[in-house]
Amino acid sequence: MERRSTPYALLGPGLFWLAVFFAIPLFFMAIVSLESGSLDEGFALTWEFQNYSDALSNFDAQFIRSFVYAGIATVLCFLIAYPLAYAIAFRGGKYKNALLLAVIAPFFTTYLIRTIAWQTILGDGSPAVDVLQFIGVIADDGRVLDTAGSVIAGLTYNFLPFMILPIYASLESIDKRLIEASKDLYANSRTSFLKITLPLSAPGVIAGTLLTFIPAVGDYINAEFLGGPGQAMIGNVIQSQYLVIKDYPVAAALSFVLMAVILVMVLLYIKFAGSESLMGDEEGTKP
Amino acid sequence: MRKRLTVALAGLALSLGLAACGSDLGGGGREGEVETATAEGEASGELYVANWPFYIDKETLPEFTDETGVDVTYREEVDDNNVIFTKMQPLLQDGESGDRDIIVVTDWMAKKMYDLGYLQDFDQEAVAPALENLVPSLESPSFDPERDYSLPWQGGMTGLVVNTAEAPDVDSIEDIFDPKYKGKVTVLTELRDTVPLVMKSMGVDPADASEDDWLAAIDKLREATESGQLRDFTGNSYTNSLARGDATIAIGWSGDAVQLQADNPDIEFIMPEEGCILWSDNMVIPVGAPNPTAAYEFMNYVYEPENQAQIADYNYYLTPVVDVQQELEKQGSAAAESELVFPTDEFTQDCSTQPDPPEEAAEQIEQEFQSLITGGG
Repeated sequence: MERRSTPYALLGPGLFWLAVFFAIPLFFMAIVSLESGSLDEGFALTWEFQNYSDALSNFDAQFIRSFVYAGIATVLCFLIAYPLAYAIAFRGGKYKNALLLAVIAPFFTTYLIRTIAWQTILGDGSPAVDVLQFIGVIADDGRVLDTAGSVIAGLTYNFLPFMILPIYASLESIDKRLIEASKDLYANSRTSFLKITLPLSAPGVIAGTLLTFIPAVGDYINAEFLGGPGQAMIGNVIQSQYLVIKDYPVAAALSFVLMAVILVMVLLYIKFAGSESLMGDEEGTKP
Repeated sequence: MRKRLTVALAGLALSLGLAACGSDLGGGGREGEVETATAEGEASGELYVANWPFYIDKETLPEFTDETGVDVTYREEVDDNNVIFTKMQPLLQDGESGDRDIIVVTDWMAKKMYDLGYLQDFDQEAVAPALENLVPSLESPSFDPERDYSLPWQGGMTGLVVNTAEAPDVDSIEDIFDPKYKGKVTVLTELRDTVPLVMKSMGVDPADASEDDWLAAIDKLREATESGQLRDFTGNSYTNSLARGDATIAIGWSGDAVQLQADNPDIEFIMPEEGCILWSDNMVIPVGAPNPTAAYEFMNYVYEPENQAQIADYNYYLTPVVDVQQELEKQGSAAAESELVFPTDEFTQDCSTQPDPPEEAAEQIEQEFQSLITGGG
């Protein structure tokens, strides 16, 4: 009896937390999203499903923009993080811990301050922008701050560690003897990377992309500080609907739509990426 | 064990659910008469003031505490009228203020909160010393003609804040649409500052502007946004953009320009030839304020010309208190000479009081303006 109840007791605190701070608020948000009225007159539950169609049709541009920005940022994060994590895991040697610390170190400063610092780094008169103008990446009178580029750069920078750490963890745990074995079987470096290292690090890549993509879609700080009106993401719209316009039902509906779309995308992604082809059981390796 | 846990969780969920259902989850004003925040005896204890950033010097509060024995919690937690309203609304609706005794909000927001029953009337006897020192021009504003519930903290002018080294010839609101300054212009996220100024540049008097006038001005801003002429919509952070050189012209507030000059003497407040927008931020006492007696003591204290001079010397906004100019002259302060603190009638002759959008279309106008800021169609 005692033993059988242990797992439930262990689940208790987590369930309690989820219930109080997630499930119950979610339930009330669902109710709010179906209300109508205004702050002055009060809101009433009228099963106003139109809130959802309004949310989608009025803010489709910002929805699409959010997914595009977050998608590009996730890809950039992956391209930067994988080689870095690989280098730390396989070539880090005695500096491994120091390098990992360097990855985490930015977290010691708050997210907000780091993002605001980028305003100075990317400001019109900054040396970074001068260099970009000199080498012709942007026009001579072009700017970086308050463009899509600066928002995506901010997202990439802010979420990069969430990509590096899981990939590092999965690379680090690879049994090095497998790679030696592949060499013994006359595989060249490219083949052993593609057949062994990459598939075995796939769980880390999947975790990393999820940890990057999901918060990046809902992010509002980067667009707020590094973007102008043309770069507003869905988080900025929810903020303005909730705090300025005070249309709580539409703000709640927007949040639900965002959640639903992310959920669907993530499920599809896991179904695809989690399939055996990516997990290393390719055709041809089967007996 | 397992059963007990499930029961406990279910019970908790149920009670939380019931508690939430019991309170009306969003919106609605408070019913009934407006109460009066009555003063009782000597001021003592603690006072909690919520104000905007950069509005008070470092000496005033300790000196107030020395003189009255009232401890002050002063938080610069208001930086947007809408945001502080939304944050406090659930409390105010239940007759609580989160221990705040005084909050400082702009004219239109003061009226809105009062109409919803979220503010208390002043105890006229207790606030009489302050009212005696109020400048005559602010004695009866249209939103609170008898000063029943609001007392100005400071006033200000919305106009152009310009880096004159980069843009020496700016003198009109039209200049923000000049292609010369493409991508170097920011405007405020405050609907009632930005849009009326643009209306003035279109030859419309904001005081009797129609729905179409408001929407036409928003359209003009939208065009300028889409063409890349306007760089961003900002709150107080336009000061950073100017200081960094990312913006050359900003729609901004008079006192900020003076504070920016400390770093860059080229930054100036320019009174547009079309005039400016005039507003005040007011001290109000919310429902549920725990210590109104101390609140009045504070109001009377900052309305002493001597004490007010110290505040005006710091923030360079329009002071609502009489005799402050003489007081500043006595102290040899440059603020006594400043047109921003003591504008002549000539300086402000074309200025308009901050207008509200026409009531029947207010919601639509607010939506249009927000959709412009957040880049929607």
